Amino acid sequence: MAAVSVHKFAECITCHAWSPDQSMLALCPNNNEVHIYKQLEQDKWERIHVLQKHDQIVSGIDWSSKSNKIVTVSHDRNSYVWNQESTEWVPTLVILRLNRAALCVQWSPKENKFAVGSGAKTVCICYYEQENNWWVSKLIRKRHDSSVTSVAWHPNNIYLATTSTDGKCRVFSTFIKGVDTREGTGSSSDAKFGEQIIQLDLSFCWAFGVKWSPSGNTLAYAGHNSMIYFVDEVGPSPLAQSVAFRDLPLRDVLYISERVVIGVGYDCSPMVFVADERGLWGFLRFLGERKPAAPSATSSSQFSEAFGKFYGQSKYGSSNDTVQPSRRRAGVHENCINCILPLNKTGDSTITRFSTSGLDGKVVIWDLQKEEDLSEYL
Amino acid sequence: MANTLRLYLTCIRNTLEAAMCLQNFPCQEVERHNKPEVELKTSPELLLNSVVICRNEAEKCLIETSINSLRISLKVKQTDELENILTKKFLRFLSMRAEAFQVLRRKPVQGYDISFLITNYHCEEMQKHKLIDFIVQFMEDIDKEISELKLSVNTRGRLVATEFLKQFI
Repeated sequence: MAAVSVHKFAECITCHAWSPDQSMLALCPNNNEVHIYKQLEQDKWERIHVLQKHDQIVSGIDWSSKSNKIVTVSHDRNSYVWNQESTEWVPTLVILRLNRAALCVQWSPKENKFAVGSGAKTVCICYYEQENNWWVSKLIRKRHDSSVTSVAWHPNNIYLATTSTDGKCRVFSTFIKGVDTREGTGSSSDAKFGEQIIQLDLSFCWAFGVKWSPSGNTLAYAGHNSMIYFVDEVGPSPLAQSVAFRDLPLRDVLYISERVVIGVGYDCSPMVFVADERGLWGFLRFLGERKPAAPSATSSSQFSEAFGKFYGQSKYGSSNDTVQPSRRRAGVHENCINCILPLNKTGDSTITRFSTSGLDGKVVIWDLQKEEDLSEYL
Repeated sequence: MANTLRLYLTCIRNTLEAAMCLQNFPCQEVERHNKPEVELKTSPELLLNSVVICRNEAEKCLIETSINSLRISLKVKQTDELENILTKKFLRFLSMRAEAFQVLRRKPVQGYDISFLITNYHCEEMQKHKLIDFIVQFMEDIDKEISELKLSVNTRGRLVATEFLKQFI
């Protein structure tokens, strides 16, 4: 079993984030609060803080790993950066200048900026201004035709990938004078702030959950038409691969390594996608136990139909013309999974553990080390 | 007949299972609002193609999906005037008690007899497969209920007529 720890925190979790040392967990229990839990021992958690400042549902949380700051965004159009001072978490309001809900947030790799995607069809890049002692935001306007559902930072701290409900995935440059330096980012990042590097028009439906691979060479995102898209060589001539699968659509993806991607979504079990030697991506299998569907119960082939007519009527009586109750998805999660985060051990660059949270209120930690068939890809 | 009903309901069940992938999504047009997009229809990109499943001309089912809500409208079989009036009265009775059902809409979509509205909040509170089971069970029961009502109306009519005609003997 790949799930090593399962804990139910609330009725419903919209998003979660881990502290730098992974001893604490911040999550939103589907309301305007953020709860911080501390792990006492295996499967014993204590709520130590409740962050109350938002007045609508919190849609995104990110906990920076180096500076130990929490950023939260909410449907009330506001964002707060929380700083720990002795035992208290002190909020600082971020002037987002948004007039619609904020939907997602992520710290940049250097943690001097963060990006907020919003329902106002804009992306805010926020950075700290020393003189004024607050976080200011610069907006990328008029680039998206619909709400921005997710944002992801390239490891170079400049590029930002976004997905939107208009079905497109875009990559922007977010170079801010005085915050970023041109050194060490390569020749390709001469672009000014807000300049669009590429626009990927692969999906016909809403796009969600964009992520960069650890090296930043590939990016992956999911479409609501049960597709996952992999894009190589992000730049003027990108190489794209679309992988369709037969199950319900994904909400979020995570790169475990350059060759393994985990997708989570409405199917309630994480899906593993791997790239073979030639770099072709495909669906491998589900994680976690799934009972195989009983073939006779759900199939409606002509044979079973006739069979049911002769034998079923006497056996089951009137239940023959009723439809079988729908098969319950057997897995660790019982509802849609909407958040997946990596868990690194300190000093270890490869990810083998990750956590998922969903609308069933559970946070599940998965470990891939025990999965033999995946070890060659890690 | 029983088997065609089963196929019809299986088809609806499978469509609902695929369509019921909803998420919390705030309104793009109005500040600080969160409304079912399938009712507002302000942003065309947030709507999916609607599906009509027909068993025959008299019985059909319309499934409209958006990013945070789903609307199912049913047309119930009405072969004669009596069935027509029974369906109308019975569904009106249910619609007036819509808040007890949570997912029931007070007014049906035009051209249909009864409508359900499922939002992401229902999917958060309730299990998805139970919701689908409820809709399918409802469809199964409504036919039974109507034909039972029809039978009892006919029986009662016959009884009343016999009693009435007795006085002339």
